[in-house]
Amino acid sequence: MSTHAHVPAPAAPPAPAPPRLAHHRGEESWSRGDKIGVALAWAAGILLCVLAAAIVLYMLFRGIQYLSVSLLATHPLPSLDQTKSGGFLDPIEGTVILTILGTAIAAPIGVGIAVWLSEYARPSWLARAVESGVEIVAGTPSIVLAIFGLLVFQQSVFGFLSFTAEGNAVFGRSFFTAGAMMALIALPLIVGSTREALHSIPSHVREASYALGKDRISTIRRVLLPASRRGIGTGVTLGMGRIVGDTAIVVILLGASQQIQPENGTPVWGLLKGTGSTLTTYVYNNSPAGEGGAPQKAYAAAFVLLVIVIFLNFAVDLIARRKEPTWTR
Amino acid sequence: MKNRLRRVGILSALAIVAAVPAAVPATAAAKPTITMSGSTTVAPLAALLARKYLQVCDHCVNFKLLQGGSDIGVADVAAGRVTIGNSSRDPKPSDPGGLVFNKIANDALCLVSNNANPIPGVDQAGIQAIFGGSVRSWTQVPGSTQTGTIDLFTRTAASGTQDAFLKIFMGTTKVFSGASQKGSNGLVEQSVASDPGGIGYVSLAFTKNVHTIPYKGVECDLRNAKSGQYGGVRNLYMVTRGAPTGATAKWINWITHTKAASKIVGTQWVPLV
Amino acid sequence: MSVNGSHNAKPKDRTDQRAEVALGALASAVLLLIGFMIVFVFSKAWPSFAHNGLAWFGPGGNVDEQLANIFNSPANPSNYVYTMHAWPLLYATALITGAAVLLSTAISMLSAMFIVEFAPEAMRRVMQPVIRLLAAVPSVVYGLIGILVLVPFVGNHVISGAEKDSVRYVIQLDGSSVLVGVLVLTVMITPIMVAITTDALRSVPRSWTEGAAALGVNRWRALRTVGLRAARPAIVAAVVLATARALGEAIMLSMVSGSVGFAPNPLDGTTFIFEPARTLAATIVDNAEGLSVKPFGQTVYAFAAVLLISSFFLSFAGWAARQSMRKYTLQAR
Repeated sequence: MSTHAHVPAPAAPPAPAPPRLAHHRGEESWSRGDKIGVALAWAAGILLCVLAAAIVLYMLFRGIQYLSVSLLATHPLPSLDQTKSGGFLDPIEGTVILTILGTAIAAPIGVGIAVWLSEYARPSWLARAVESGVEIVAGTPSIVLAIFGLLVFQQSVFGFLSFTAEGNAVFGRSFFTAGAMMALIALPLIVGSTREALHSIPSHVREASYALGKDRISTIRRVLLPASRRGIGTGVTLGMGRIVGDTAIVVILLGASQQIQPENGTPVWGLLKGTGSTLTTYVYNNSPAGEGGAPQKAYAAAFVLLVIVIFLNFAVDLIARRKEPTWTR
Repeated sequence: MKNRLRRVGILSALAIVAAVPAAVPATAAAKPTITMSGSTTVAPLAALLARKYLQVCDHCVNFKLLQGGSDIGVADVAAGRVTIGNSSRDPKPSDPGGLVFNKIANDALCLVSNNANPIPGVDQAGIQAIFGGSVRSWTQVPGSTQTGTIDLFTRTAASGTQDAFLKIFMGTTKVFSGASQKGSNGLVEQSVASDPGGIGYVSLAFTKNVHTIPYKGVECDLRNAKSGQYGGVRNLYMVTRGAPTGATAKWINWITHTKAASKIVGTQWVPLV
Repeated sequence: MSVNGSHNAKPKDRTDQRAEVALGALASAVLLLIGFMIVFVFSKAWPSFAHNGLAWFGPGGNVDEQLANIFNSPANPSNYVYTMHAWPLLYATALITGAAVLLSTAISMLSAMFIVEFAPEAMRRVMQPVIRLLAAVPSVVYGLIGILVLVPFVGNHVISGAEKDSVRYVIQLDGSSVLVGVLVLTVMITPIMVAITTDALRSVPRSWTEGAAALGVNRWRALRTVGLRAARPAIVAAVVLATARALGEAIMLSMVSGSVGFAPNPLDGTTFIFEPARTLAATIVDNAEGLSVKPFGQTVYAFAAVLLISSFFLSFAGWAARQSMRKYTLQAR
């Protein structure tokens, strides 16, 4: 399956390491080139470790200096003075809302597509086209998806998803629109993981189900999907990680208002039609690439973001490590 | 049977949830939303004013503030995409018709250099030479403590500050093509602050971390801007399509006619009253 | 609705058919959306290409000046300015992406070999979370570290005054440069490549590498000649993925690689890596606010169209490369 290669393999449970080649000193010949090669390999491995440690430690050091509980709990306020510009409660809420929205849209669609590709896939030209389509989405830069989203959602037919300004010009930027495009970037990950999970269920399970008189859709609902829960969970968490870390779509499609501004009084619907910001745009705007006013706060927010992303990755690990259903032959 | 009931239950719950937003907007009083886009100079002022206004009128409107530069603000408001376009430059003949430029404040445009390079003063010919690219080394600039290449930081094409800079300081001299174009006042300030050989121009509100260069012998600060002595003062506008009406008119009126607004403007900008 | 027994055959088939149609419709809807996206972007981009012809891809003039002129086009549609010679942007994209992918491939292959064969057990257990951590860092955090640490460091301590002087009549060097862009981009795309390459190396059948060892070949050489060869389709897949990621990286590069549409000149010698550049993706992000001005928006969509075409070519090239390697290696994944 061609989508297979596009899913960075989710953390497999620690497989027993294959035995290494026997180390017979003196029986092999090591030319100088080979020794340099090994040294380089060591250097590369150590370099990666050092980089990871450096990034985390640096963010920890800089971020935690300015981080305090009040920052996490106060709203951001406009001010030229960094000490008065509040915290980043709204960006955190924005991140959470957007992630949930994007995942809620992507998960059912992704699982549905994966099921269709894996269990039905007729006519075959359509199946191959859908596969290629998902690959294309996986390979499209998120900035292109973002401006495409702007293009689509600024059409008046989509006015109900965001705010319409006075001249009947649709604003096109809201949690809904950003969430919809976020769903697109999470989709390939969910499709890939689910397909892998479905693929790993041996065919005799399906055959047994059909033998009992169940039709295909019941088999899928009752047997296959529950068995692929682990793969679906991995895919969803991977998708969430991707959504949390994305900046381009939020910069263009979320309306860049510091605080979350719901569109009208309705509790949930109005909020989603409104604009806001997320941790990623908060970091971007407070860094020297944005208005540059608050680099310390940018560090603090970046640190929180890093913690969230690491936590999500940890969650992928845990899900992947859960006992896989064993199919007795 | 049980499944069918469950299915009906879920569907009706979904139907209710979907119907609520359709029903409620008819009953809830919709607050007017004022969207602003445009100048990065006006943006912090607009944000501060909005914050105060929301307290004063008890959250009677919603504000949305975007940026992008004065030209984008003007284009957006002309096309009806936003209610107000913020502009830090005067109206140009190429602007679309039907626009009203409502002046809300004046602003001093300061020339800035790094704190390690406190230039005592410069005149118009000097600025034209430096930003025009004919002088490329600090050794040729009197009063400079640096000896390296001059790093120029200017603004992008959409910027009203750029337009004001060209009009007030450069005249007909073109800016050196190799200059680094930044998208906002904040970015110019940050770039000049972190580069000892940097020079640029920003609105007075963005001069905390850099050294302001006196122009024609007059220091760039709020007092000189208010008295009119400083030569680099320009106008800040909120542009509307036609004369402002309704909530927009109330907002602009509040900015230009109340003491509370004047006080806020007076912190870093020059109020009209 | 527990169906049991053949007397319910008909309803079973209908439900199954409905389900199949529903799911198929869902899949086709997504396909339609993607097709729509391609058509939409290209139709918006077309006027820019049409007005410039092939010169759109060529050099000529200053890209930033051209963008400014397009933005300031007069209001009359027949007088819209479209002149754009996007070569500096295309060149910068190819340069930064290519350099980062090359550097990353080298580091990834070495790291993968290290993880699979040479790392002591304790270190191997550390490496996996390390790789996943590096892959998980959002690009805006990389950009933040780049702009607050690397750019001032390069600008103030690495670039010498003499180098700045040597190009001062053409461009200014302030630290945001090709070098910083390539370095940070490499760090961003390496984890993906390492993960895929490691998996591929691990799944090489033991008998193959043991056969090499039986012939007296040392570990390094066995891995290099047999292991890497066998893993070639996966390495190609990894390179394709990493290149796609690098092409699409907009935010981080717009923060650190320079905000001038300049084509770095290799004839400048080593100063060449200190010159600023701006890729297509970074240009789109920097100019996203002006999308509403018609000719400007169309030019930006033209950049996006070029990026889309590159992704297609990339996928196709990857598929073709994997097809050609099929006969030499393990079952294609």
